[in-house]
Amino acid sequence: MESNIRDIVIVGGGTAGWMAAGALAKNAPGRRITLIESEEIGTVGVGESTIPPIILFNQLLGIDEDEFVRETNATFKLGIEFVDWRRLGHKYFHNFGMLGADLHTGVPFLHYWMRSLKSGGDPDQLRFSSETEAARRGKFGRVQRAPPGAQPNMHYAFQFDASTYAAYLRRYSERRGVVRKEGKVVNVRQNAETGFIEAVEMQDGSSVRGDFFIDCSGFRGLLIEQVYQAGFEDWSHWLPNDRAAAVPAERMAEPSPFTVARAREAGWQWRIPLQHRTGNGYVYSSSHISDDEVATALLGTLEGKALADPKVLRFKAGRRRKSWVKNCIALGLSSGFLEPLESTSIHLVQAGITKFLDFFPHRECDPILIDRYNEEMAFQYETVRDFIIAHYKVTEREDTEFWRYCRHMSIPDSLSDKLTLFRERSEVKPYPGDLFGDISWFAILYGQGLTPEGYHPLADAMSDDDLQLRLAGIRKAIMERVEALPAHSEFIRRCCAAQPVTTAA
Amino acid sequence: MTRRVEAVAVVGRDAPLWLAAAAIQRSLGPAGVRVQAVELPSWLASADCYSTLPSLASMHRLLGVDEAKMLRAASGVPVAAQRFSNWAKGAPPYLIAYDDQAGEAGDLPFVQYWLKGHREGLRAGIEDFSLGCVCARAGRVPLGPADTEAKISASYGYNLDARDYAEALKQLVTNRGIEILSGRIADVKLDGERVIGIELEGGERVEADLFVDASGAERVLMMRLPGAEFHSWRDRFSCDRVLTASATQFKSLPAFTQISAFRGGWIGIHPLQDRTAITAVYSSDGISDQTMIAQLSVLARLPVSGEAVVSELKPGLLDRAWIGNCVAIGEAAVAMEPLAAIPLHLAQGCISHLVTLFPATAEEMPEAMPYNDVIRAFASNIADFTQAHYLLNGRFDEPFWEQSREAPATGTLRGKIDLFSARGEVSLRDNETFSEQNWTLLFLGGGIEPDGFDPRIDLLADQPLIELVQQRLRAVAELAKNMPSVDQFVGALGQLQAVGVS
Repeated sequence: MESNIRDIVIVGGGTAGWMAAGALAKNAPGRRITLIESEEIGTVGVGESTIPPIILFNQLLGIDEDEFVRETNATFKLGIEFVDWRRLGHKYFHNFGMLGADLHTGVPFLHYWMRSLKSGGDPDQLRFSSETEAARRGKFGRVQRAPPGAQPNMHYAFQFDASTYAAYLRRYSERRGVVRKEGKVVNVRQNAETGFIEAVEMQDGSSVRGDFFIDCSGFRGLLIEQVYQAGFEDWSHWLPNDRAAAVPAERMAEPSPFTVARAREAGWQWRIPLQHRTGNGYVYSSSHISDDEVATALLGTLEGKALADPKVLRFKAGRRRKSWVKNCIALGLSSGFLEPLESTSIHLVQAGITKFLDFFPHRECDPILIDRYNEEMAFQYETVRDFIIAHYKVTEREDTEFWRYCRHMSIPDSLSDKLTLFRERSEVKPYPGDLFGDISWFAILYGQGLTPEGYHPLADAMSDDDLQLRLAGIRKAIMERVEALPAHSEFIRRCCAAQPVTTAA
Repeated sequence: MTRRVEAVAVVGRDAPLWLAAAAIQRSLGPAGVRVQAVELPSWLASADCYSTLPSLASMHRLLGVDEAKMLRAASGVPVAAQRFSNWAKGAPPYLIAYDDQAGEAGDLPFVQYWLKGHREGLRAGIEDFSLGCVCARAGRVPLGPADTEAKISASYGYNLDARDYAEALKQLVTNRGIEILSGRIADVKLDGERVIGIELEGGERVEADLFVDASGAERVLMMRLPGAEFHSWRDRFSCDRVLTASATQFKSLPAFTQISAFRGGWIGIHPLQDRTAITAVYSSDGISDQTMIAQLSVLARLPVSGEAVVSELKPGLLDRAWIGNCVAIGEAAVAMEPLAAIPLHLAQGCISHLVTLFPATAEEMPEAMPYNDVIRAFASNIADFTQAHYLLNGRFDEPFWEQSREAPATGTLRGKIDLFSARGEVSLRDNETFSEQNWTLLFLGGGIEPDGFDPRIDLLADQPLIELVQQRLRAVAELAKNMPSVDQFVGALGQLQAVGVS
């Protein structure tokens, strides 16, 4: 058909650009894909932590997981440890995966666990999470797909070096015919009648024409904002952090199979262990703390020697009002920013790409598709936003100006509805498209100190003896499973250790 | 800990009352919840029929109902599809069946392959690729799962005698030990937005922590609550009358319900074991009840006998189907004409959302909020599906049908139609009752000819596409050939296990 898209142009490299290039090269064959990037413009790539759906993205690309881990200096991740969030000295874990097992009653396990809690049971729900048990013991392994009725599979994601990830995807894409063009875009040519972008003009005088454009140019939104003025919805009153200072440190002897997020005086600090080094950073609100104070605080708490000076990044929480305008979509920072507290940056890029593949347009880009895409992406961003805000709002901390602000700020209605429901019945009833399910919400809200009053009444239908037996059986199976796993570092060494030559940070 | 819900009173009539009481007792009885049913006088006429979607069978499984016994008791007949005739001048009838798979073949919905094939000269229609449609034409029942290899299977709904079915459900509820009080309501005691108790004309009092309103269009509890607001859809749906009557049974039972449009509305012909139920749904603006009754035999092309009863129809929904401690289910929450065989499904959907959101405590009940959201979406999708039949009608020069074409529709429905017209794609929303395949059959049957298809279909070369399409065509025909006829199915109800229904 004449109206098919033939030429796709990606403006901007970095993680978002190369993820898009790889996904399109594999899943939209027959199209010419050009990626424009400039060595002059730095990419925002620090230690990157991900969530389990990235496995689907790897599958979409047909990537061999061991190779991928090797080439990106990655480690495995079973969840996030939150330190000092509820109050100083308190710790909790946001586990990936399920809790307990499916009891085949139509009622999630969580409610049975709540019932046992309410009758005086152990307050640690994560005794029923294989991922947590393994993380606590520094273990990792892939488990065989469990037969129905047995325990759920173990869920994991990766912690990797974002710059090597982009480089890895670049090699992947170029092997599949993606053309990389070095240089800076200086002008954009639009069709006078339709406003569609026809070509981008380069500093060297050449131009690159295309039927469809993907804006991966970062915060400035070279196409989506500078050409189309899509607008920016500012969320910084809910998420006041606007800077991050990042610094790599020497590798941990035993890299933990989880990311650490430690709450600090005016923000929080990450620790992302990779094979060759450890990524660290302090995300903060510049109106509550100075860059210098942050640098001192960050360097003072590194667990290994710093390998560079802290580098400061600036951002603003919010979302581009439209991620798709005419024949252009924005991916990554050009479509919005949410702090990496729940490791969602790469996921939002992934969601944008897979949705685009689902909605793959003709050249004229049907407005119905565009509206639907924008609606669904807006929902994605908002649901992640609410989840992140909950970490700040639900806390006992009032020890600094920053935490007093967070604890008393107003929150979106969509979040307060979830909190009300959670308090009543231990579940927030996520919408079908919500990224985080009830188990994640439970981990966070309960971890932050909100203990629900009730649970699903159907969970009372089981006899006490039966419930106790089942809980004990599940706990035993989890212990046995985790016992059999190797240490995380041992697992990496055996099947996916990086080549020592690729350790340039 | 705060107090749990210990007592539930379900107030209503007919099948929705009994379904709700049985379902709540079945799931929450073991958790210590006591259920009472308050039975209001029935509104069912002797000729009434419940035409249902396949989802009813899963409700029955949940309730532990013996399917064969139920079908025998309610003169039930399986329905593989609905057949729509005369919805456009000169157009052939079309079918909407209930295939379990969305017709997937490869990565894209099957209709995409069909559209491409059709453009290249493929002659087989979309219905030839639907096991349900092929069975419906051949008078067969698609028992599933038919072929796990090809992943082709279809489900079927039922036509049931309404009074017999309600009676059988009442029997079930009685056997389960649920207390039943019968009568009319004399008084409802309120405290703000909460119902404290009700008093029947006979003097009995009923108190409960949670009240369920299953009283149909009367909304006997809901409409007494401050803040209850019924939002009418009359601007979207012209029909405000339902006439039911009977004719003699078919000698050989068809596997579909016939839905024939006529100048003032539509007529449904529902085969039952011992008679044929006839429904006429029409607008009183265009045709009087007397005229309708007089013309029914001619329009239905069947000799109508016995009682013909007209009832009023007021489509719309409650803005809040759950207020305080009172939850509306079925028609009490959302009223919709029975075009898409949904009246019991509406009750069932509400009941299952209520069980999922059963209040954790007897006090605040913030569950009302998600319940109201989900019911609104659920109802709106069904209303869209129903209205799509009208919007797409091709009957010109008839005021009723002109008006139906011009009636206001939601942006969601317009968007669905536009997208399908552009590329044969159905954009499903959350909480859809009808599948991608149902919408596809409706849109194509209603006469939409998509301008294009998903661009990814071009990635498949012609040869594999032709093979894929032909393979499916053969597989469907082969499977359908081995399905029992409706007569065989009904005849075997005494020993239903033998024909493979569990």
